[in-house]
Amino acid sequence: MTATAARPAAVPLGPPPSMVVKKFVSRVLFYVVIALLLVFFMLPMLWIVLAPFDASPSLTIKLPDFSTGNFSELWHNPYALRSLLNALIISLGTMALVLVFGALASYALSRVRVPGRDALLYALLLLSSIVSGTAAMVPIFLLMTNVHLIDSQLGVVLVMTGGLLPAAIFILKDFMDATPRSYEESAKVFGASPLQILRHVVIPIARPGLATIAVWALVNAWGNFLVPFILLRSADKYPAAVVMYTFYTEGGQPKLGLISAFSLMYSIPVVIAYLVVSRRYGFRFHGGIKS
Amino acid sequence: MARIILDTLSKQYPNGVLAVDALDLTIADGEFFALLGPSGCGKTTLLRTVAGLENATGGRLLSDDRDVTHLPPGKRDIAMVFQDYALFPHMDVADNIAYPLRIRGEHRTQRRAKALETGTGLGLENLMDRRPGQLSGGQQQRVALARAMACQPSVFLFDEPLSNLDARLRLEARTFLKKLQKDLGVTTIFVTHDQAEALAMADRMAVMELGKIRQVGTPAEVFHRPANTFVANFIGSAPMNLLAGETADDGLRIGGFTVPFPHDSPRLPPGTPVTLGARPEYVDVVGTSTPGAMAGTVTIVEYLGATALVSVQIGDERVPDGADPVLGLTVQAMVAEGTEPQIGARIGVTHQPNRSLLYAADTGDLVSGTGSGTGSGTGSGIPGSTAATVSTTP
Amino acid sequence: MPRTAVATDAAGLGRARAGGFVAPALVLVGLFLVFPALWTIYLGLTDYRLTGLAAAAPKMVGLQNFRDALADRFFLNSLWLTLIYVAGSAIIGQTVLGFALAWMMQKVRPSVRGVVETVVLLAWLLPGSVVSFLWWAMLNRRDGTLNALLDTPGYNWLIQHPMLSIIVFNTWRGTAFSMMLFSAALQAVPPSQLESARMAGANGAQQFRDVVFPHIRGHVLTNTLLISLWTFNDFSPYLLTAGGPNHKSEILPAFIYNRAIGTGELGYGAAISLIMLVINLIIALLYLTLLRTRKVKT
Ligand SMILES: Nc1ncnc2c1ncn2[C@@H]1O[C@H](COP(=O)(O)OP(=O)(O)OP(=O)(O)O)[C@@H](O)[C@H]1O
Ligand SMILES: [Mg+2]
Repeated sequence: MTATAARPAAVPLGPPPSMVVKKFVSRVLFYVVIALLLVFFMLPMLWIVLAPFDASPSLTIKLPDFSTGNFSELWHNPYALRSLLNALIISLGTMALVLVFGALASYALSRVRVPGRDALLYALLLLSSIVSGTAAMVPIFLLMTNVHLIDSQLGVVLVMTGGLLPAAIFILKDFMDATPRSYEESAKVFGASPLQILRHVVIPIARPGLATIAVWALVNAWGNFLVPFILLRSADKYPAAVVMYTFYTEGGQPKLGLISAFSLMYSIPVVIAYLVVSRRYGFRFHGGIKS
Repeated sequence: MARIILDTLSKQYPNGVLAVDALDLTIADGEFFALLGPSGCGKTTLLRTVAGLENATGGRLLSDDRDVTHLPPGKRDIAMVFQDYALFPHMDVADNIAYPLRIRGEHRTQRRAKALETGTGLGLENLMDRRPGQLSGGQQQRVALARAMACQPSVFLFDEPLSNLDARLRLEARTFLKKLQKDLGVTTIFVTHDQAEALAMADRMAVMELGKIRQVGTPAEVFHRPANTFVANFIGSAPMNLLAGETADDGLRIGGFTVPFPHDSPRLPPGTPVTLGARPEYVDVVGTSTPGAMAGTVTIVEYLGATALVSVQIGDERVPDGADPVLGLTVQAMVAEGTEPQIGARIGVTHQPNRSLLYAADTGDLVSGTGSGTGSGTGSGIPGSTAATVSTTP
Repeated sequence: MPRTAVATDAAGLGRARAGGFVAPALVLVGLFLVFPALWTIYLGLTDYRLTGLAAAAPKMVGLQNFRDALADRFFLNSLWLTLIYVAGSAIIGQTVLGFALAWMMQKVRPSVRGVVETVVLLAWLLPGSVVSFLWWAMLNRRDGTLNALLDTPGYNWLIQHPMLSIIVFNTWRGTAFSMMLFSAALQAVPPSQLESARMAGANGAQQFRDVVFPHIRGHVLTNTLLISLWTFNDFSPYLLTAGGPNHKSEILPAFIYNRAIGTGELGYGAAISLIMLVINLIIALLYLTLLRTRKVKT
C-alpha cells in the first residue's frame, strides 16, 4: 500500500486548512517514529560493519580509519578460522540430519494415519522448545558424558538435531499436507513405486519447504552457543559461537580488532543463506521458523 | 483396449459414506462412456475405484475378463486425467508427458523423443520445455492428455477434465477430445456434472444419484426417455416440466385443467396420481381457450439468444402484486426469439403428447412415453448395453 | 480442488514403510529430547553433584530439592525476575513493537518497508554470540555508543539497570518474529471488509476494532504464547550479564547454569529444570487449548 492510498481522496473543495495541517503533522510524526525505530534496530549493528575496517577499533561506533589489519589478524589467529570451519561442520551436519529425517518423518506422518499423531507432534514440539533451551542441560551433559560423546562434534550435532527435529517435522508436515494428493496419485496410476513417488514428485514439490527448513536448521545450529559450550572441551573443536568469547587479552580486555572482524565473518553466512532462500522461494512465513 | 465390467462394485468410505452402491455396469471396448450426476453422487469415487486409487469394499472389477479388483493402479493398464490435471510443476512439458515412460525405465533421450511425438500430435511441439505454470488452461489439459496417452493404456479415465476451462475453450476441447478418443479407439470413462457435455460427447452414459445408477443409455435415450423424474429433472438445458396431476377418463387433470395423455400411456384407473413430464422445448404457447391448454399468466421471460424461456403461472387469476411468481404450478415453455409474450400476458400452454412422458407420482419411475422423433428404441445396438442394468431405488 | 483435507496414503507407503520413515527421527528425538527430559525428573530427586562425594554415589533425596528451592531466596528471586523478563520483553516489548511495526509498514512505500523489515530481520538472524557482544559494546561503561550518544560517560548500564538491559536486548532481538507474523495476519484481512467499514463511515480506531482485530485475534494469541515460551527458555541474556550483578538479572536459565554447571549442584539444577519444564507445560497447554478453541470456531 502506498502512503497516499491510506488516505481518502481529497474532496474537490479541499479540506479546511486546520485539517491539512493536522494531517501533515501526523504524517511527519509517523515518519519520525519510523526513523527512530530504524535507528534503534540499526545502531547496535553498525559496529559490526564499521569496526572491522578500523585500524584501531574501539567500542564506540565511529567512521573507520580504514585498514584491513583486523582481517589479517583474524587470518593468523589459530582458532578463528578453525572455529568457523567447526561451525560449518556442525551446522551442515545438523542441517543434513534434520532435513533427511525430518522430510521422511513428516511425509509418512502426513500420509499415513497413525493414532495419536497430532498429540505426539505437539508433545514433541513442546519438549523441543524446552530442551533446546536451558532446562535439560544437566541431563544432556550427563547423558553425553556417559555415552562418551562429550567433547565430540558428533555429540553436538546429535543433540541439536534432536532439538530441532520436532519443529522441523511440524513445519514440513504442513508443506506435505498442502501438496495436492493428485500429483502422487497420478504418478501411482502410471505405476510408480512409493519410493519413486517420493523421489520424483514429493521431494521436488516440497522443495521450498525443505529449503526453508534447511536454512532454519543451519541458522539455528550456526548460532547455537549453549550446546557446544556445555558439550565441548577442547578449544580446537569449538565452533565460532563459543570461540568469540575467548578473544580476550590476559588482562580480560576484549581484542576488539579480532572480535569485530570475526563477528563480521561469522555473520555473513547466515545472512547469505537467508537471502538466497528468500530470493529463490519468496519469504514464506511459518509459525516458529526460528526458535 | 478393454471392456470394463463392474460387478456389484461398492465403495464405502471409512466414515460410513457409501459412495458407490453395488453397481453393475458394462462398458464396451472402445466406448466413450460418460458418468453424469449431481455433486457428491459418487462419480469421482467410482472413477478412482476403477483406477485402483480406492479399494473396492465389495464386488468385482473386470477388465477384459481379467479380475483387476485388487491390482495396484500401476498394473491395471489405465491412465487417468485428473480434474486439476496434476501436472508435476517441477518438470517441463516433455518430462511430464514422458513420466509414464520414465517409470517403465526407458532412457531419457528415448522417452523425450516419444514425448515430443505424442505432444506433436496434440499441437504441443513448441511448448515442450515450458513448465506447467507457464501454460494456459487449455494447453495444460492437452499436456495431461498427452501424458495419459504416452503409456498407451487400454482405458482412459477422465475426471471432469474440462471443468477448469472457460466456456469457449470447453466447447473446443469437447470436439477435440471426442475426435481424439475415436481416433485412438481407447475405452474411455468420462466424469462430468455438465449434462450438455455428457450428451454431446458420450456414446453411452450413466446418470448417478447417491451412489446408484439411475439410468444407463445413449444420450438420445436419456434425453428423450428419462427413466425417472430424477433423470428427467437433471437432463436438459432447462429442466423438464414435471407437473403433478391425476388421471381421468378424458385426460390428465392438472391444476384444474384437463390435458391430453402422452401417447402410449397405459390405461390407468381414473384418479391415479401421476406426474407429467414435458420438456420446455416441447411445450407450445397457444391461446387461452385452445382445447387441451392450460391457461396462466406470464411471470418471467428469460432471453437465451435464439430462443426465450417463458415461465407461466398456471391459474385463472393474475398474480397478485407482491406475490412470489414462482410459487404454485409453473410451466416453462421454450419459444423462438421474437415470438415471446409480454410479462403479465394471459396465455395458454400445451404439451406435445408425442414427446411428453408419464411418471408414477410415488416412485417417480417412467410409466409410459413415446419414442422421440429421432427414433431411439430401448436397445442401442452398442455391444454390452443390454448387460447394463438399471438399478432402481427401493 | 485437489484433495488435501483427508490423510490418504496416496503413494501407498503402507504402515510398515511409514514406520521406517519415522523411526530415525523418533530415535534421535527420543534419545536427545525425551530421555533427557525424563532424566531430569530422576535427577531432581537426587543430591547429584558435579564433583565430590555425591558425584560418585548420588543419593535419593526425594522432594528435598524442591523444598530447598521453595525456601531458596535466590530461586524465588530468579522466578520473579523471569516473570518480569518474559512480561517485559516478550509480551510488552516484542508483541507491541512487532505489531506496531507491522501496522506502520502497511502504510509506507515498499522501499521503506523493505529497508525496515530487513534491518529488523537482521537483528533476528545474526548469531546470538554476535548480537550479545554488540549490545555489550553498545552499553559498555567506558566507551559504549549509548554513553557517547547520551553524553553520560562512565555510566554502567549493565550494572545499574541489568534487567532493563536484557529486556531491551531481547526485544530488539526477537521483534522480527512478531512483526512478520502480524504482517502476514494483517495481509490476510480482506480489503473488501475494510472498505465496507470505511464506506459505513468507520474511523481508523473503529476499523481496527471491528474489522482488523477480530481477524488477528488468533494470531495475537499464537504469537504471545510462542514468544513467551521462547523467551522463557532463552539463554542469550547470560552472555550479556551472566546473571549479575549480584543475581540482579539471574533469570531461570542463568540460575540453572550457575548452580548446575557453575557450582556443580546437578541434582538441584535438575529440580529447577523440572520446575521450568512444568511452567513450560502450562504455557504450552494454554496455547494448545486456545489454539483448539480457535480451530473449532473457524
Ligand atoms: N475420502 C473420503 N472419505 C469419506 N467420504 C468421502 C471421501 N471422498 C468422498 N467422500 C464422500 O463420498 C461421496 C461421493 O463423493 P465423490 O467425490 O465421489 O462425488 P462426486 O460425484 O465426484 O462429486 P463432485 O461432482 O462434487 O466431484 C460424497 O458424499 C463425499 O462426501
Ligand atoms: Mg468429483
